[in-house]
Amino acid sequence: MSAVFLGRFGTWVNNTKSSSRECDDELEMASPVDQGDDLFESLRKTDEKKLEEKVKALAEKEAAYNEKAKERLMDLIGSNSTLPVTISSIRLIGAKHTRRSFLDRLFNPILSANRDAPYTLSEALEQVGSAADRLRKFDIYHEGISMFIDRPSPTDPSSTPTDIDVYLQARERGRISLKTGTDLGNVEGSAYGELHWRNIFGGAESLNLNASAGTRTRSAYQATFDTPILSDPDKRVSIDALSSSTLKPWASHEEALKGAGAKYSWATKSGTTHQVGYTGIWRQVTGLAANASPSVRNDAGDSAKSSISHTWVADRRNHPFIPTRGYLMKTVSEIAGWGPLQGDVAFWKSEIETSGAIPIPIPGIKGDSGVSFTAGLRAGMLYPLPLGFTASSQPSRINDRFQLGGPTDVRGFKIGGLGPRDGTDALGGDIFAAGSANLLIPFPRVGKDTPLRLQLFANAGRLLALKDRGGNTQRSVSSTIAQLGDGLPSMAAGFGAVYAHPVARFELNFSLPLVMRRGEEARKGLQFGVGINFL
Amino acid sequence: MPPTNSAQDEDTTSPQTSFSRQTSRVRNFFSVPAPVKTLFNSVPILTYPPNELPQRAPKSTRIPILYVFSTKEDAAAGRPSFNPSCLKWQAFLNIVGINHRLASSNNHASPTGSLPFLLPASTSSNASPDGVKPITSNKLIKYAKDHGAVIEEPTNMRHEAYQSLLDHRIRSAWLYTLYLEPKNFSSVAYPLYISSISSNPLVRASISYQLRAAAEAELLKHSSIIDTDDLYSEADKAFEALSILLGNDPWFFGHEKPTLFDASIFAYTQLLLDENMEWKERKLCRALRRRENLVQHRERLLVRYFGGP
Repeated sequence: MSAVFLGRFGTWVNNTKSSSRECDDELEMASPVDQGDDLFESLRKTDEKKLEEKVKALAEKEAAYNEKAKERLMDLIGSNSTLPVTISSIRLIGAKHTRRSFLDRLFNPILSANRDAPYTLSEALEQVGSAADRLRKFDIYHEGISMFIDRPSPTDPSSTPTDIDVYLQARERGRISLKTGTDLGNVEGSAYGELHWRNIFGGAESLNLNASAGTRTRSAYQATFDTPILSDPDKRVSIDALSSSTLKPWASHEEALKGAGAKYSWATKSGTTHQVGYTGIWRQVTGLAANASPSVRNDAGDSAKSSISHTWVADRRNHPFIPTRGYLMKTVSEIAGWGPLQGDVAFWKSEIETSGAIPIPIPGIKGDSGVSFTAGLRAGMLYPLPLGFTASSQPSRINDRFQLGGPTDVRGFKIGGLGPRDGTDALGGDIFAAGSANLLIPFPRVGKDTPLRLQLFANAGRLLALKDRGGNTQRSVSSTIAQLGDGLPSMAAGFGAVYAHPVARFELNFSLPLVMRRGEEARKGLQFGVGINFL
Repeated sequence: MPPTNSAQDEDTTSPQTSFSRQTSRVRNFFSVPAPVKTLFNSVPILTYPPNELPQRAPKSTRIPILYVFSTKEDAAAGRPSFNPSCLKWQAFLNIVGINHRLASSNNHASPTGSLPFLLPASTSSNASPDGVKPITSNKLIKYAKDHGAVIEEPTNMRHEAYQSLLDHRIRSAWLYTLYLEPKNFSSVAYPLYISSISSNPLVRASISYQLRAAAEAELLKHSSIIDTDDLYSEADKAFEALSILLGNDPWFFGHEKPTLFDASIFAYTQLLLDENMEWKERKLCRALRRRENLVQHRERLLVRYFGGP
């Protein structure tokens, strides 16, 4: 609740404010008057100082009065919290383009006409407050939706003695906004232009058109239409279409994507988010480099993927980039091409990511030392399935396999540096596991309140391709998983600096590879990483 | 002349050495300091053998592989490809006796963007960190010569003229009859070129459109309109000229063994006369069938180098 004024008591607060101004006029008349020529100059000189002092005193008095008014209102609400009230009407002022039916679904349940029992004042304020919160989540109004409560006139025949009217005041945001700028993703920079059309049909539907070009994504065009379901900001349906062309220098080719999909996402009360969606994509491996390996030449060409995916995220960290407390759990599952889905590829792909952070108390430093230990684990599996209604499954393609290694992944290795390789091309793998342990220490002179940290890390990973077990998929998957523990995983360790900018996390690390497989590409020495999602 | 040259060289060497001195100074500044270098040399501490490749990766072979447009079964059996430029080089390699295997592929795999290309055998002699370099069709003759083939260079001056007949008149008629004749497109081109790419109908529709637009653009390069009667009559005249050129000889230009020119002719005659192609609009096929010696030329090559029909 940003501002609450009770009608009668509002005027009383104003009266006290005007009386303070009368006192100040008296003070001015009582100031001393000097004689002679110095009069003008002395007035000019002291005027500024006295003006400053007066302004300060005024501001302090206003702040003090506001504090007192707030306290009085809190007392008033507190003492009247069990006052039985009925909400007779809710009015939203300033929402010209919002649909009536959309707001009806949001506010009808709160109106007393639709409830059997009367509210207490505190309950009523809570309900209206949560409705205002939901309005805010739709992102079609500016920040600061204020709520006013008034009693309807007793002469109105439709009102009862316990009735209150609720007024919500909001300012609608501009419906069309055009943005251009630069963006930072995981190890990529891009420039983009974006058109955002808000509240198209009056129910917080939005259309987003995005065109971008970057260091790795040569061009990407995306259109997304998003709408909340049943006036609930936590339940959204979106339809999107995408056309992009991305360079993959670690595998000597360029991948062109064209596709469309529909997604439904919802958030539970505890803050976890789910998203279920269908995507149909046409992928093309093209633009092979002159020294592309035979394995990549074999996988060149077109393939269509039709899949259903589910994403679940529970993020309970206290900071997305340098967490000191909490944990993150995320799973992404995708099933493609099986049964009625059709397409050219069929598999079950599942990826799980967890990370946790704990603060480390240092003996001798009181309170939060700023030192924290974070650990992360990622694992994934690609299980081939029979395509459509056929009987046998096909081996995986390079478009679908996992890649491992890079400054945001397993540090100390080049992008796609781990896993099976043919020549210099990273072919990707079907099963992987990677883990990392980092110690974040605030710099000694700078302190723990800045977003800068010193980092000591060690991380390891293993990426494997499915073995050939004569068509028996289950045996090949289980024997490949067993191979994950065969010998030490490829690992690297080092130290560096981390900077948590509000946009992304920047890292500069000095690392050395300790264990590797022949062919895997490690980066000895300095490595720079920018990204959102680090292991 | 030589003394002045050397004087010039002396003049230019002194600024060069100061430049090279400057570059070496910059290089030393950015190079890794010695203690760090010894550290880098001592890692990684443990190196395991390399990871196994995924199942779709081709196994390295001792025989070179020619990537052509073909079905998987036909490629495994060594049967002729259904694309004229691929079939020309496939026949050529068979004629000069270069042992090779076939692999079915598409245009995206090729370094030049069009098939065929050859991946030489990965022997230990040419194992390089970059891997084997693919040989595109314009370098295949040199490759064949390097591997012991005896190739007769075309000596006849009329060779250029007849080659242009093939490349322009017959090729244009071929493009029209395969891609722009609706009945032929759906019965010949669609199953061969489009169905094998993807099973998704939207992808197939998009690729059909692209293929037909590309064929039309290619035809419009040579003339401002596409006149079907004109195209067919020109192709008929070209077949007549080739038939007269062959006469009663077994191979063109009176050679004892077939040459690249024979392979080029075979590329079109085989595809037009093959019953398995299931042509619906047979105007071009009939025009070719009227020339008996071209039909026999095709059968001769088919029996000798492809193991019969």
